[in-house]
Amino acid sequence: MKKLLLLATCMLPVILVFAQRTITGKVTDDKGNPLANVSVIVKNSTTGTTTKVDGSYSLMVPANARALIFSSVDMAPQEAAISSSSSIISVTLLGTTKNLDEVIVVAYGTVKKSDFTGSANQVSYDDFKSRPIINPLNALVATGPGVQTTAANGAPGSSPGIRIRGFGSIGAASGPLIVVDGVAYDGGMANLSTEDIETITTLKDAATVSLWGSRASNGVIMITTKKGKKNRNNVSFRVLQGFSTRGLPEYERVDPQEFYVLNWESLRNALVYTSGQAPATANQNATNGIKTQLGYNPFNVPNNDIVRTDGTINPNAQLLWPDDLDWNKELERLGSRQEYSVSYSGGNDKSDYFGSFSYTNEKGFIIRSDWRRFSGRLNINTQPLSWFRTGLNISAVVNNTNQASDASNTGYVNPFYFTRTMGSIYPVYAHNQTTGEYMLDVQGNRFYDYGNFSALGIPNRAPGASPGRHIIEETKLNQNLFKRNTISGRAYGSLIFTPWLKFTTNISVDLTDRNASTYENTKVGDGAPAGRATKNNQKTTSYTFNQLLEFEKRFGDHHISAMAGHENYDYNFNLLSGQRQGQVLEGSVEFPNFSTINSLNSREDNYRIESYLSRFNYDFQGKYFLSGNLRRDGNSRFANDVRWANFWGAGIGWRIDKEKFMNSITWVNSLKVRSSYGQLGNDGLLDANAAAIYYAYQALYGLGYNNAAEAGAYQEQLANTPLTWESSNPFDAGVDFSLFKNRLRGTVEYYHREISGLIFNITQPLSTGGYVVPTNVGNMYNKGIEMELGGDVLRTKDFNWAIKVNASTVKNRITKMPPENKEVITGTKKLAEGKSIFEYWLRDWYGVDPSDGAALYMATRYIAANSRILTNEKGGVDTVTTDINNAMFHYAGSAIPKVFGGLENTITYKGFELSFLLQYQIGGTVYDGAYGQLMHPGAYGTAFHVDALKRWTKPGDITNVPRMQNSATGIYDAQSDRWLIDASFLNIRAITLSYQLPKSLMSKIQAQDGSVFMGTENVALFSKRKGMNVNQEFNGTTGNVYTPARILTAGINLNF
Amino acid sequence: MKKLLYSTLAIAGLFLALSSCKKDYLETSPTDAVSQDDIFKTTKNAWNAINGIHRSLYIQYNGQQDQGGQSKNIIDMDMLGEDLVNPTTANGWFINTHRWLSHRTETSASSPFFNFQFYYDIIANANMIIANIDNAIGPDIDKKAIKGQAYGYRAWSYFQMIQLYGKRYDKAGANSDLGLSLILAPTTDKIVRSTVADVYTQIVADLTAAISELGAAAPRANVSHLNVNVVKGVRARVALAMQDWTLAAQFANEARQGFNLMSNTQYMQGFNNYTNPEWMWGSRQQADQTTFFYSFFAFMSADFNSTNIRTGPKCINSTLYNAITATDIRKQLWDPTGTNTAFPIPPGGARFPYMNRKFLSGGGSSSSIGDVPIMRVAEMYLLEAEARARAGGQEGAAASVLFTLVKQRDPSYVLSVNTGQALIDEIMFHRRVELWGEGFRFYDLKRLNMALNRNGANHVPAVASTMDVPAGDKRWEFLIPRTELNTNSNCVQNPL
Repeated sequence: MKKLLLLATCMLPVILVFAQRTITGKVTDDKGNPLANVSVIVKNSTTGTTTKVDGSYSLMVPANARALIFSSVDMAPQEAAISSSSSIISVTLLGTTKNLDEVIVVAYGTVKKSDFTGSANQVSYDDFKSRPIINPLNALVATGPGVQTTAANGAPGSSPGIRIRGFGSIGAASGPLIVVDGVAYDGGMANLSTEDIETITTLKDAATVSLWGSRASNGVIMITTKKGKKNRNNVSFRVLQGFSTRGLPEYERVDPQEFYVLNWESLRNALVYTSGQAPATANQNATNGIKTQLGYNPFNVPNNDIVRTDGTINPNAQLLWPDDLDWNKELERLGSRQEYSVSYSGGNDKSDYFGSFSYTNEKGFIIRSDWRRFSGRLNINTQPLSWFRTGLNISAVVNNTNQASDASNTGYVNPFYFTRTMGSIYPVYAHNQTTGEYMLDVQGNRFYDYGNFSALGIPNRAPGASPGRHIIEETKLNQNLFKRNTISGRAYGSLIFTPWLKFTTNISVDLTDRNASTYENTKVGDGAPAGRATKNNQKTTSYTFNQLLEFEKRFGDHHISAMAGHENYDYNFNLLSGQRQGQVLEGSVEFPNFSTINSLNSREDNYRIESYLSRFNYDFQGKYFLSGNLRRDGNSRFANDVRWANFWGAGIGWRIDKEKFMNSITWVNSLKVRSSYGQLGNDGLLDANAAAIYYAYQALYGLGYNNAAEAGAYQEQLANTPLTWESSNPFDAGVDFSLFKNRLRGTVEYYHREISGLIFNITQPLSTGGYVVPTNVGNMYNKGIEMELGGDVLRTKDFNWAIKVNASTVKNRITKMPPENKEVITGTKKLAEGKSIFEYWLRDWYGVDPSDGAALYMATRYIAANSRILTNEKGGVDTVTTDINNAMFHYAGSAIPKVFGGLENTITYKGFELSFLLQYQIGGTVYDGAYGQLMHPGAYGTAFHVDALKRWTKPGDITNVPRMQNSATGIYDAQSDRWLIDASFLNIRAITLSYQLPKSLMSKIQAQDGSVFMGTENVALFSKRKGMNVNQEFNGTTGNVYTPARILTAGINLNF
Repeated sequence: MKKLLYSTLAIAGLFLALSSCKKDYLETSPTDAVSQDDIFKTTKNAWNAINGIHRSLYIQYNGQQDQGGQSKNIIDMDMLGEDLVNPTTANGWFINTHRWLSHRTETSASSPFFNFQFYYDIIANANMIIANIDNAIGPDIDKKAIKGQAYGYRAWSYFQMIQLYGKRYDKAGANSDLGLSLILAPTTDKIVRSTVADVYTQIVADLTAAISELGAAAPRANVSHLNVNVVKGVRARVALAMQDWTLAAQFANEARQGFNLMSNTQYMQGFNNYTNPEWMWGSRQQADQTTFFYSFFAFMSADFNSTNIRTGPKCINSTLYNAITATDIRKQLWDPTGTNTAFPIPPGGARFPYMNRKFLSGGGSSSSIGDVPIMRVAEMYLLEAEARARAGGQEGAAASVLFTLVKQRDPSYVLSVNTGQALIDEIMFHRRVELWGEGFRFYDLKRLNMALNRNGANHVPAVASTMDVPAGDKRWEFLIPRTELNTNSNCVQNPL
């Protein structure tokens, strides 16, 4: 080997002795801009140079030189023949993002897009660098076909939900596997600085993901971090500043006068219809009694004359505290965003490096929700010896977060629930109930009204208005802190034996320490009066260790690459949590400052996978492609007998454009057809709370059931040894094309994911203990069409307008249900054969009886006590009921949209670039539970949606809102298809505007280039109902969560 | 060159060989659970299984605030009656039960779901013990204590449930309406509902077995365990529900042997400590087993700082209260004025007339810790007195048993000279007062085939909503929860 090198080195000068001549020229991009630093090399030699700032070069070439190769990072290399007649060679290089020779990151390697037989979406740093994205997964929203997302919640750093090609599971995980730099990542996506990311690749088809075996069935998202580039040293700075605000308005709710009237009716009708009082008596009693029910009289009129006996508001009623009814005022603020980052990279023939540091600070639009991240990365690769290459990519991240408490949909500490449902008459601060003046404490300050200050002569707020609680005070006094430190390391060593044979071993580790610390104050709320502190420490450690032998060689027209290897994955989760109460002194929230131990827990989980893997790729003349993968996984989540299984994938591709018969068809620049098929697994077992479980096959008694001081255990789960992977068989076929000088590019494909052995968490008869047994019994498929089209509408030297649009469909069908549970009802859905997993199963809302305003549901059968027979529009009769137990359930539609996708527009003019991204969804329905909770029939204290004003009031009223009646709470507003609404929406997801600073200016500060940019996220959302978080969940439900944020930022980026 | 190739391959092969894992690499198990086999290996381990059942009486279920184990059933039984008054709807918990809506809504997450799930969970755990304890290694005396308690729990659970989901047992009738699915061994089969009569037969058989096993067992460690007195007490309750007055009186009498009535000082201490001499059976809680807002005391105490208590302290029916004599210590448990500041309340708590201080949280306003009574000896006196009074011909004995109890509460009490219905009424009055809030009223109304009548007292119609329910109405039967119908295709619903 050494001899060979020596020989080669000695021969170089010999070659250079031949006669030489000079070639000059200019390199530009497709818009005519000069390209600097492009490497120009004589083919099959080391002779070369780089272009200057104006794109020009001049190179002495030997007489026997046949061609020049122009190459540059981010650009597709180009070869230009040297003719004897001309010594000027100018070329235009095309950016890789628009080029078919883009490199796609796949499992354990990369592949040229043109040779790729699979299906993937890839976004690069350039695509999102101007966008204010903290969590990299947000870059996937609407930017590629086949990827469905939910709206990330508004808390800083939140992830959107992601589903690739439909819904992979019912009882197990459905989210994709996240792989960072080649290894399954256990660190949490907000740990990755978007500044460090080179590409995010969504792998969708079997042949591509099957190398991930038992974890790949829901698709894989591969994230590759940046690397230093050869002979290009670079330092770049980026500063970004901005604001965040509420991205969605609140639902429209009634004002205090309307609120009182609706509640008066609620009481009055309860007295009439439930207690049997005569209407006149009930009217009087309601007028006299409604203040008692609601607690507060916010008006300057007597308590028994707020609402008149005819149900109208006293016209003289003026609000006593009109300026103090907005509960959001003190909770919301103008949020802010700051990002600073610096990165540097470079390399030479043997080594390259990339280093970065960034700091991000976001304050959410709700007080006490903020997020700070320090992140650093160092990625070094070196080949010190011709036969040995090694590298280390290490990153460390520190997150400090203050979190809004929106975990519980209807928790008193959830600011979104609390403020949304707070009746419109209740003031934030304590007021004198007669004069309406603010009350003052001994220091002369206003103080919050907890809604139970009876000692101060203030009534209790009504039950539906969270009496005794105060979200603003609680949010201010409580703490909900969260710190997370992550260290990720990826190291490898390769023995390069020959150019075609290489052995690599990779060792990777992800360490995450998560420390959550909450404090609940002594004044108001769940911790009062004792005060309590909770600490939760979690340590996650995961190792991946693999050994790969790789082979790649050309034999004439045949190109073969192959790989074989072994891999271990070892995941350890360690928990220590505790709570103490009885705060001793104010100020400290550490355990020694609390008197009593409430709980103290610890636990450890171990999860391991051992795998053998192999890959084989073959192509003939770069025209016909064949690829195959085989992986054998053993997984600790399953019992010994079913622990090992084989997973595989195979793909074929045909570059039609390379065929001779295509030579005459010049408008086709490239055309490829491809298809793949395989067998994948899903081991992502989940418990009822969607937390990962690792021992589902074992018969277990849970510890922690001590009876006072006596050790105790309780049966938790039954033996379940046949439990194994869900298995999925995805098929896909697609066409990639590029036409009219690459002006029109696109992909159309069809996929069909067949999933068998679907795990159902089958609840055994409640009478036998109701144990939940995960069982592989179901089958399901997802199929659909994906389309992506990109085109340059205008392409001139200065002005360019590109449009990219994608559209996808998902048809999901369950084809086999457990024989013993042919139908399973979960929440608002019913699973059954022939139905999708998100098919609503709800009471059939019929409407409101015009004669008495009762809420009617279609009846299962006629029961005299609760049923009515009504004539319908068609002249037939309907049997309806007022009793929800007799209400008929029916399939009421699906949450899955007909089509969804995105539209990207990029307009460039000279140095300006304006781009906007639209996300759309057509069809599907939302179960708007958050709206439903505001459409109750008069639960005293709870806010009403303005639609409640359309309620029935007198015989003959034709309306869809039943009469107010407190005692009908839970009946008139029961779960039914009344709360379904069209889920179509259009979201102006992102707009960015950037300006490339003039080179002349940049060169003055010795910068290579620089840009200023503005970006905004969640600009506007158009849906059927104002305030509705239409894209909150895949299953179509809404709830009280941190409303998505709108973010507006501006920044500057300089490269030196 | 070839050398290098071979050596590389050799190194690669070595790496592969070294990295191939040990055989048990893929064997992992949880650290906070143990295998079922281990639990029944020895009697020492098996004690864990019975202790787990004791504990199950005061853990939270389904993450629901109203589902703190046995507490929920206790509160439900009073919420369905007329003696407990909710002055407001407070924050809503138990209100739909109070309104007689929840237990008739098959999809409700509260009753009827919880009461079914909770007791059947206990039955499943008891069945595991009964099926496996004989093969455990350990002293026989331990096996008897463990197995006897398992039988006791199974019987008690069925008895608690059959009175909810089945029709009342009528001694004169065939009791052939549907009762409960009898699950008597670990299984996941879909079992049909047996008749009410069959369920009672099984309850009696289990109690007989429990009495036999526990009769020969070592004394229990503490009052949270079952012993022979407790199972006899349950047997007495069962006999009373079956209108078998003689057996009821006999077992109640046997059950109370060895227990004393508490003093009047102890009576005012808040019903939260199982060291009270009157407690035959109760759950013991310690500080690090906090029950937070799902505790019994988070709803029923006077003083714990929960929204529910702050805004809706539990009150007694004013008619019942007013009938208590002034010299009776029990008169002091309730404040008819709603202004008596000697009654503790949580910070910012509201006061209402007739609010109680019978139950005080063991941790005051800041902690809901407290022991929960499940059987007190006072009940055995009342049960024996009632049984003897109803049996006929034993009225003297009945009055005498009643006297022993009431004299302890009211020094001015004199031996009753009432006979017939008047004596029964007097006993029932003391039963209502004595056992207020301890989970008996719905069971009593139902077993006696009485109507619910909340009129004429301090009930707030807007809160209570349902003021009357006729005797024998179908609403006296809880519906079978939808989950059971969905998971057990052989189960059928009660009349809707």
